[in-house]
Amino acid sequence: MIDTNSSKIIGYFFLEHNYDLLQEPIKGDLKLTFNTFLSYLSSNPFKSYDKELSYLPFLEQLHGFYQVSGKALEFNFVFDSEKQREKYRGLKVPRITWINTQKITILLDRLEGKNDKICYKVSNVVQSEKDRPNREQLWALLSQPFNTSADIELHSRSNAVTVFNTDFNTLDQILKKKTAVSQLAKKKIALKTSVKPFYDVCDNTSHSSTLANLILNKKELRNSTSDSTQVYKVIQQNRNNMSQEVYRCSHQKIHFLPIFNQNTDLSLGDCSYLDTCHKMRACRYLHYFTLQPCAAKYNYEDSLKEASKKALNHEYTIGQSFTDYQRKVLPPQWIKCDVRYLPFSILGKFAVIISDPAWDIHMSLPYGTCKDFELLSLPMHELQDEGILLLWVTGRSIEVGRQALQNWGYTVSDELIWIKLNQLKRTIVTGRTGHWLNHSKEHLLVGIKGNPPWINRFLDTDVVVSGTRETSRKPDEIYDIVERIIGLHARKLEIFGRDHNIRPGWLTIGNQLSGYDLHERELVIKYEEYLNKREGSKPLNR
Amino acid sequence: MGQDRVIYNRFAGGNQNIYPESGQLFGNVGGDREGLVEERKSRERMHREPPNGRGAIVMENDYSNHYIHTGKTPIQHVRNVANPMDGYPKLQKLHQLKRNQIEKHATKSFGCRIPSEKIVPTLKTWIKDFGLEFDVIMIGALVENQFIQPLLYQLPLYRLCAKPGFLFIWATTQKIQELTKFLNSDACNKKFRRSEELVFVLVDENSPYYPGEGTGRQQPLFTRQQWHCWMCITGTVRRSTDNHLIHCNIDTDLQIEGSDANAKIRNNAVPPSIYKVAENFSNSNRRLHIIPSRIGYNLPVRLRPGWVIMSPDVLINNFDPLTYEKELYSKSLIKYKQLNNTQKPQFLVPQSNEIEDLRPKSPINVK
Repeated sequence: MIDTNSSKIIGYFFLEHNYDLLQEPIKGDLKLTFNTFLSYLSSNPFKSYDKELSYLPFLEQLHGFYQVSGKALEFNFVFDSEKQREKYRGLKVPRITWINTQKITILLDRLEGKNDKICYKVSNVVQSEKDRPNREQLWALLSQPFNTSADIELHSRSNAVTVFNTDFNTLDQILKKKTAVSQLAKKKIALKTSVKPFYDVCDNTSHSSTLANLILNKKELRNSTSDSTQVYKVIQQNRNNMSQEVYRCSHQKIHFLPIFNQNTDLSLGDCSYLDTCHKMRACRYLHYFTLQPCAAKYNYEDSLKEASKKALNHEYTIGQSFTDYQRKVLPPQWIKCDVRYLPFSILGKFAVIISDPAWDIHMSLPYGTCKDFELLSLPMHELQDEGILLLWVTGRSIEVGRQALQNWGYTVSDELIWIKLNQLKRTIVTGRTGHWLNHSKEHLLVGIKGNPPWINRFLDTDVVVSGTRETSRKPDEIYDIVERIIGLHARKLEIFGRDHNIRPGWLTIGNQLSGYDLHERELVIKYEEYLNKREGSKPLNR
Repeated sequence: MGQDRVIYNRFAGGNQNIYPESGQLFGNVGGDREGLVEERKSRERMHREPPNGRGAIVMENDYSNHYIHTGKTPIQHVRNVANPMDGYPKLQKLHQLKRNQIEKHATKSFGCRIPSEKIVPTLKTWIKDFGLEFDVIMIGALVENQFIQPLLYQLPLYRLCAKPGFLFIWATTQKIQELTKFLNSDACNKKFRRSEELVFVLVDENSPYYPGEGTGRQQPLFTRQQWHCWMCITGTVRRSTDNHLIHCNIDTDLQIEGSDANAKIRNNAVPPSIYKVAENFSNSNRRLHIIPSRIGYNLPVRLRPGWVIMSPDVLINNFDPLTYEKELYSKSLIKYKQLNNTQKPQFLVPQSNEIEDLRPKSPINVK
């Protein structure tokens, strides 16, 4: 088919004209390639080569070269010598689409007799003159993942060495790959968790200004405290004054409607306090009204029931209680007490404890604070044999908190960050909220004691994003996150809780609650026993 | 008593399923007490209502719940990631002015490529032979194994760091305890006070900064999305009087991946926004960043104007103490501070009146 000499000539031709052949104007066109080849022949005096080569014999030779070189060329058709005519007759222009210079080099080296060990290095550096790497390219190259490779040697017992090649990318991916357990647990928890209504924020400013013009001037809504059903009534009345698009969007997304008062000075920008501003009327900064669609009635218990039904069909049951679906969540329980003096032994053991102590951070706060030593001396070991403890800390107390967890026998496994959002779902960046830098987040230390096998890991991330509410009130998302980790029916305790902290399934203790309400029989007996004893010694003040 | 303990143990740990639920076992008792019934009912009513109490129907978005169902991380719903100062024109102006000022007076970018084991000896010669000092020193990068501890114990930080000086140290949750130990140890003479804990939050698991699930003995409970950087202060600075040295409350202690400052660079040993926090806070012009170990995969150590970056991996090796000193003198505002009969130069970024007007200030106590 093809002799050594012709192969060499064709090989060198392709190596030399690699770029020209694939670029405009040739673009791999076989006929033009043939012409180029002819001029290549005439410019290079090759002996023993047929100078009167015509197109078809050239194709025969090319096919031979194609096979000898191990398919170093790629075409836009199937290059098969028997059927070639039929195959590419249909095509307008038969083309070479790629030239594998690597393979041609290997072939030529073989033909030249250089068959000692030669390394063929793959390089993705651009070779042509004008494309010499400049700063932009270097920058782009750095932004790409690096392609590296490594030989891994395996020594077996018989001293045989197996070498196989891999690249770090693959290794990295293998190492980072999620285990089946964590993937399945994630799917399962998605089924078990009720879907809460969720609304995106509309970023189209023309929507919010249209709505603001139509709604906020209405008499019945002059006072900004009006609730959303009333607002939607007004929207309904003004339906004809806005486009279909705006009307529909007002029911699907959250809009922030700018409120222009007499005093508003637009050039100043938004108010730092927004909806929590005390001087809303007089404030010269811009405020907003939140227009949020009404959810169809969302009932916590119903959605929970529905979710647990869905989860029944999922066959992954590791770390799950098999009586989950028959059990009911206990109503909220609480005890008003001075946490420092309540004997913890009457409370029993808990799978999880959340604590939000009023740290003494040397600031005047509207509530009494707790001294470090008082907190550190709490007999926490009586409450947990194994389990997790979550401790809210701030500023100076971050370190005290870490120390406390360690003293109580916990290892700090995570640090949950609560990113505080303002009314406009933005992080808080102004208002001198910290001493050196502004503070836009709070820290929740998470400690683990023992090695509890019943916790589910990696379901949530360690960043919670949620709006701010009253001073020192923490986001409710934390409760759900905790319940996902330890299961719905584990015993759960909150220390230093207030009235807004009580929750079904949780026991809350703290001095700002009112009275007590208990449902676990054991707990009731123990607590009343304790009360009676105390009543005997000194007058009871409840 | 021992008997009781056994019973209570059942209640801890929700997944020990062999025990029926406590309430069912004994029947409900607590609510029957007089006077409490009404109160309890009202509480239960409160509970059925959405938690935020703003009318019965409107509910705040629960981003964590949304994440469980869609996989979209809560941080992606924050609306001012790209431009953190959105809505605050004065603050934007201030940031722009500060940036211009810092860029105008920054020394050119310096890199010092050096093997890990030579970092400490080299720094010692810089101190001894050239009298180099830095006002802002950042140590470490966004990698798990960076061997900061041995470096900290060997390094004469108190001589390398000017007074007042600022230290930014990167640490993971697991390493923070070691760091606390160091700051309280004799090695650093308790001279550095931990003053802020900066957090860098990444978008999701596909981020180049994603730390993985952790390899240590103690596995985390959550998918990790954050890096911590401690800001420590040595010497005395007062935020009310030392405005030539520091500007407070310009940035926040939270930086999110994908902000303007990070836009150009997707991956770097340290996110540019954290460099920016350091630059905006300290008005001093001598900044050093030490990355003690190779940080390897996919996080190149890029240079930054105004910083000397020392690392085995830094892209360009062009540092020379004399050139650096020349740069410092030509670019900075130099103020001399009286210190034990000697004049000590301070190399500062000069500030304009406009910046002074715009920057957040401590309230003046008026009685």
